Amino acid sequence: MTIDDLVAHAAGLLPEQGPLQAFVHHNTLHAFEHLPFTDAVTRAAEVFGTEPYLGEAAFHEFLASGRITPDDLDAVVAAEVVDDGVPVVPGGPTLRRFHEVRLRHRVEVPRGPALHWLLAETDAVDAVDPRWDVLRAAAPGPADPPDRPRPRDRVLAATGVDPDHLVHPLLIRFTAAFLDQGVAAWPMPERDRGLLAAFRALYGRAGGPPEPFLRGLAACLREHGDRPADQTVAWAMDELEVSEEDRGAVVTATLLSLRGWAGMVRQFESRPDRAPVAARPARLVDYLAVQLTLDLFAARHVRATAPPADDVAPLPGLELVYEAFALARLMDVPLADHDRASTWLGVVDGCDEVERRRLLHLAYERRHRVGVLDGLTAHQRLAVPAGTPAFQAVFCLDEREESVRRHLEECCPAAETFGFAGFFGVAMNYRGLDDVRPRPLCPVVVTPRHTVVEQPIDSGRAPRRLRARWTRSVAVGSRTLVRGSLASVALGVAGLASLVGRCLFPRAAHRWSHRPAPAVPTRLVMEFSPAEMTDIVSAVLRTTGLGLGLAPVVLVVGHGSSSLNNPHESAHDCGATGGGRGGPNARAFAAMANDPTVRSGLAERGTLIPEGTWFVGGYHNTCDDTMTYYDEDLVPAGLVEPLQAAKDALAEACVLAAHERCRRFESAPPDLAPEDALAHAEAHAVDLGQPRPEYGHATNAVCVVGRRALTRGLFLDRRAFLASYEPAADTDGALLASLLAAVGPVCAGINLEYYFSFVDPAGYGCGTKLPHNITGLIGVMDGHASDLRTGLPWQMVEIHEPVRLLLVVEATPQRLSAIVAANPVLERLVSGGWIRFAAWVPERDEVFVFQDGAFQPHVRERTAFPVVARSVEVYAGSRDHLGCAHVLAEADVPVPVP
Amino acid sequence: MTGVLIAAVAVPFGAFLLLGLVSWVDLPLGERAVSAVAVLSAAVSAGLLAAVATGGPLRVPLGTWFDGFPLVLAADGLSVPVGVLAGLLGALIGAFSRRYLHRDPGFRRFHLLLALFVAGVQLVVLAGTLDLLVVGWELTGLASALLIAFFHRRRGPVVHGLRAFATYRLCDVGLVGAAVVAHHGGPPLAVGLLLLWGAMGKAAQFPFGGWLPRAMEGPTPSSAICYGAISVSLGPYLLLRTAPEWSQAPAVPVLVVVVGGLTAVHATLVGRAQTDVKTSLAYASTTQVGLVLVEVGLGWELLALVHLLGHAALRSAQILRSPSLLHDHHHLEQALGEPVGHGGGSWQRLVPRPVRLWLYRFALERGYLDAVLVARAAGAARLVRRCAAADDGLVRRLAAADDGPARAAVAR
Repeated sequence: MTIDDLVAHAAGLLPEQGPLQAFVHHNTLHAFEHLPFTDAVTRAAEVFGTEPYLGEAAFHEFLASGRITPDDLDAVVAAEVVDDGVPVVPGGPTLRRFHEVRLRHRVEVPRGPALHWLLAETDAVDAVDPRWDVLRAAAPGPADPPDRPRPRDRVLAATGVDPDHLVHPLLIRFTAAFLDQGVAAWPMPERDRGLLAAFRALYGRAGGPPEPFLRGLAACLREHGDRPADQTVAWAMDELEVSEEDRGAVVTATLLSLRGWAGMVRQFESRPDRAPVAARPARLVDYLAVQLTLDLFAARHVRATAPPADDVAPLPGLELVYEAFALARLMDVPLADHDRASTWLGVVDGCDEVERRRLLHLAYERRHRVGVLDGLTAHQRLAVPAGTPAFQAVFCLDEREESVRRHLEECCPAAETFGFAGFFGVAMNYRGLDDVRPRPLCPVVVTPRHTVVEQPIDSGRAPRRLRARWTRSVAVGSRTLVRGSLASVALGVAGLASLVGRCLFPRAAHRWSHRPAPAVPTRLVMEFSPAEMTDIVSAVLRTTGLGLGLAPVVLVVGHGSSSLNNPHESAHDCGATGGGRGGPNARAFAAMANDPTVRSGLAERGTLIPEGTWFVGGYHNTCDDTMTYYDEDLVPAGLVEPLQAAKDALAEACVLAAHERCRRFESAPPDLAPEDALAHAEAHAVDLGQPRPEYGHATNAVCVVGRRALTRGLFLDRRAFLASYEPAADTDGALLASLLAAVGPVCAGINLEYYFSFVDPAGYGCGTKLPHNITGLIGVMDGHASDLRTGLPWQMVEIHEPVRLLLVVEATPQRLSAIVAANPVLERLVSGGWIRFAAWVPERDEVFVFQDGAFQPHVRERTAFPVVARSVEVYAGSRDHLGCAHVLAEADVPVPVP
Repeated sequence: MTGVLIAAVAVPFGAFLLLGLVSWVDLPLGERAVSAVAVLSAAVSAGLLAAVATGGPLRVPLGTWFDGFPLVLAADGLSVPVGVLAGLLGALIGAFSRRYLHRDPGFRRFHLLLALFVAGVQLVVLAGTLDLLVVGWELTGLASALLIAFFHRRRGPVVHGLRAFATYRLCDVGLVGAAVVAHHGGPPLAVGLLLLWGAMGKAAQFPFGGWLPRAMEGPTPSSAICYGAISVSLGPYLLLRTAPEWSQAPAVPVLVVVVGGLTAVHATLVGRAQTDVKTSLAYASTTQVGLVLVEVGLGWELLALVHLLGHAALRSAQILRSPSLLHDHHHLEQALGEPVGHGGGSWQRLVPRPVRLWLYRFALERGYLDAVLVARAAGAARLVRRCAAADDGLVRRLAAADDGPARAAVAR
């Protein structure tokens, strides 16, 4: 394989996250998606040194609290462990029984020296028990140390000094400066010639940094001249004495040693269009050439200067013996001879920690899955179909909108809601009135072909922008020598006032500093042809079933999130718009649906939009639960009042949704009054000291694709993506196929990103936000000069429940099997178990869960759920995850929440 | 007024001891209560000092440590403004941190250290003698280093906390030396030089400034109060406080100006190539503190004080806001209607390419100071190791001279 092939292979393992301005949720383990989920997490744990599942301690807490029941354990063991009815050793349990007991008991096995201490100093092991000696005699020898071909690992093992501690600071400094989007006042010279050329130009000059390990670097770089990067890589590996067959492993391990930065270089290489300010000619192979060159100098330096480390003899592997001994005592297994002891050790080893965590994880997921499926099927019999709607509202399918929709239907039973991917089919490059450059507003997999520009109706005088210029000169000038001193002397009082405001009165300070400018009336200028617009509107109307009976007023609501002190702000935005804010998409969709030519085109295709129907676009800020509406001046006079009524109902729903959401914030008192909820939410959004502006997608776990009538009035605890799908309009399954092709991967991406960032906040997530340091306007580091941290911060995921997405689709198993088989991406997600897939056939009152390659009927465990009149009765006073409940305003005798 | 001044120092210490006691016996004290103790103590301290200010300058003898070492608190036009600002910032940052560190496992530890930091600062500021000042100085340094290493499970914070601590210790030699020399009636030149040495570490002056950007490891609010504002300001404050003692030696003010000037120029150059917001702000701080030192050296004491206080407030506000950089950048771009751009235009036009390359590398590598200093430190460490090895050898030879059974007994 050529160097480029090796780099391309290693690049697949690097984080896929681009610059933070547009955060796109994706499967953290995208590189392992060809494997089944459980294999992938184990394999990735080996490659990255991360955690595959939650820790055993966490699962045992769930067992104690009843979140996992003994039935779940037994069901999982029955499905996963074959049982031939024969004891594993004479007098011992069967394999299945062994697993059942093993999973219920946590055996603390001290590691290494701790175990030796335990054996030597305590009576944890009974000396007279003969099983100990038998087991010790039968114990396998210590495992061979893993083969580490990377030269740095060998140097570290030989000397105890890590050459990466020399290389990484310089490499981070240099790469950050190369990619910088505008933090530094001085741009890097020679940057346009590429990363390696810039490195040679800067560090190839004499008189460079006098660091001892860099001695000779300048001469070496000059000697290389303009040698291509792959030749430099090959040269460096030869000098490091890497054998031909180890090259691939060394390239991978080297790039993974600083994977955040390497991944960002790759992002700039593969998606230059996603650079927030300016693309840089970055190439991963250039970066690798720089890293290996520095590795070479560091390795030589360390070998030459550091004394050899003392060899520590590996201790024999007593952990397994201790565990087997403890279990033999627990299960009362006689181990008379060497063979039996050896078998027993094998059985114990077969149910090692990763295996136990896998089984416990399956049990944990099972409890959740059964609860949701039982809730859905139970609700189907109680759901009350809506009458003729007074108005309709189309939301994003985002699980955060679930509560808004539910509350809207509760407040206003005459309202009907729908869910569709939040770009509403409008894939565009959008440039708002104030935007400096257009940005795509559509799923990342789509490349928009059209640009939509927001323009003022009256092109008046250009704004003077004095305040912005003043802000810029203070921000830049205060860091310089002369202007900085003037600013310090003159603006110290202003700094103090800002501190007082921001620390003590965050809401007032924000309102004062963000006095809204008078709004300029604008319109969207769209490039779409009438036929394209008709396609877009038609697809939404037909898929959701909205077209079956349109109300006079139809609200189309996109969403986004605005917050301070939050480098990950855009991770709270709408995933369907590629980490952007979906308001403009909703506005464009409404404009299209109101267009007379589009309406006549639709009529030709058999979808009639009545004369008296008007679409209004809106924007829901999920962080402070405010609503904005667009183009209200175009609303026909007769619909102004119905629109006002709809807006009032939605405003009330927003208040109640904010109230429901606030229960998750420990900062909100448990008895928070509904009228105070908006203020509390706003305080979270505008407070500089608030690392939890909102909890975003945390707790997401379910996606239901089907008619809203089936789930209307079902309390799903803001945990379910809800996509509207009308099977009646979809005779051949084509609409469902295209819906699932979009919904499946997007929701799975969000769900899996939260899963991994939660189970290993340091390895997959970016850890706690508190020391985060924004670098180059592209990402965050932990404090000073660390690797670029990818994934989600702990404060965003801390309340998550790491379960795989349960995708429930209202369709027959046959239809779903056909759709999945025809779509390789879905096929990989479903058969690899990256999502749990269920077919819901309400007519026959059946649910089938995809398991082991086939749809298997779901057996109901619970049929009765609480019935309440309002959602607040379910969630009041609780901060935990809540199960399903029926919210039926018409219920005569509410059944209280148990 | 005497009691009020003593209370201004004692209250933050009381808060520290209270929080320490709570941690020690592991009382289940909620976040709200912990925060209230830290915030109120700092606010009360600031308020008491403001009350003292109404009564004019004040010196309160606390007694004598031992003969010739009086302990005195002094409130005057210099110490009161600095003390009020320190208390006020401590209270504001404490209030901010209640939300910022909510649910963090180190919540209590953070507030404990914040209380210790404020207490140490108030002692430095109000100390009327050098001896008392040293006590506060050490406590402040300890609290800062522990706040840098707040996330002690990662390597970086611990290494960088240690780096700051080592720099502080190195420069504390100067401060303690100054106190000793002053007691023995040494020449003002020696006292002045030692004081300057003592001030250089905490104020991150050339060439000891490398720890400051590395100190941005703790939670953002601690970075704001320590390294944006109060901690780095203590260096210039020390020189302002002791100006009557060193200004008699004409060489000292010149040196102060030189050190401050070199620092300011070095830091402003280096800061221009830094690409992460906290490092960039750290060098901006160093630049201004260097300038304040220049003003101190020139004898413009009032300007220096105003500059110091104004800078502290402005910079800590900027560091607190630094996690919003992406948000602010986006909105600034929208408000400007054009890319924000960078200030490198004239630099690219006016500076010839080879000089630009050299200067840029110089700035990116932080003026090579680290490499030089670390190489020196490594040399010193080697020397220490050699001495230790020689000592070991000597001991072994001595032991070998003993008889065998005794050695065996020792080995057992």
